[in-house]
Amino acid sequence: MSIDQTDKRIIKRLQGDLPLVPRPFAAVARELGIQEQEVIDRVADLAASGVMRRFGATLRHQQSGFAANVMVAWRVPPADIDRVGQALAAYRQVSHCYHRQADPRFPYNLYSMVHGKSRDECRQVVADMAAEVGIDDYELLFSEQELKKTSMSYF
Amino acid sequence: MDELDKAILRQVQSKLPIDAHPYARVGQKLGLSEEAVIERLERMKKSGVVRRIGGNFVSTRLGFASTLCAAAVPEDKFEAFVAAVNAHPGVTHNYRRAHEFNVWFTFIAESMEEIEANLQRLRQQTGVKDILSLPSQKMFKIKVDFPV
Repeated sequence: MSIDQTDKRIIKRLQGDLPLVPRPFAAVARELGIQEQEVIDRVADLAASGVMRRFGATLRHQQSGFAANVMVAWRVPPADIDRVGQALAAYRQVSHCYHRQADPRFPYNLYSMVHGKSRDECRQVVADMAAEVGIDDYELLFSEQELKKTSMSYF
Repeated sequence: MDELDKAILRQVQSKLPIDAHPYARVGQKLGLSEEAVIERLERMKKSGVVRRIGGNFVSTRLGFASTLCAAAVPEDKFEAFVAAVNAHPGVTHNYRRAHEFNVWFTFIAESMEEIEANLQRLRQQTGVKDILSLPSQKMFKIKVDFPV
């Protein structure tokens, strides 16, 4: 879908925090000077077309029982990327899985975020994954500190 | 958090109904009033379980470029480097990780050239030479819901 100026104004508003009121789209519509139904229709289109990948409440996972996470960087032969990527993505503990362009200084080309209740649990899951996909060249990058976490402000 | 709070979170984590009365719709499913849903969400926002309620967008679908960056930052430069990186509005996530490449951040901008130019400026400004850009070639999974 193509994004027009009204969509951009709605996206700009939705990337922030919506008021917790019975009719949040009416509140947005008032702020932007358009009709509530038009806001609802446009937001529904943004969701249906995949431009908006989710709509709802963002949780702080540290407070929802998933205390540990590890980014695992895998070095996978190019011909095996799809097979391994799909196998890793199938794990419920994996939230993100991307094939990335490697760098000679860090020659890993597949990245997965693994979540668990503890670092040991993360390690165990990663060991299971490694055995399943048959890749033993990987790096565990445990997060030690959140330095910044925000949502992008587009437009 | 009690079981009802958790049931609400499961409903609103990524599929808050796009409807004139989204919280009434959630309440219908759980046998709660609209007011009760709003009141409980308000409490979970105050306690910090809920960070915000809104939308997340696919940067590339909006015409933006994005990448994951990794930097090997010596301890004596760490604080200044993190401050310089975080000052960029296009840096949305930044984590210290236990590795020689110890600072990992995402960078979104209008083009990859703009990102590269910013990374080059960061290298000059901070003296940290090893800043890698690892752009995505293919997405296998992005999941944002957490079991509650």
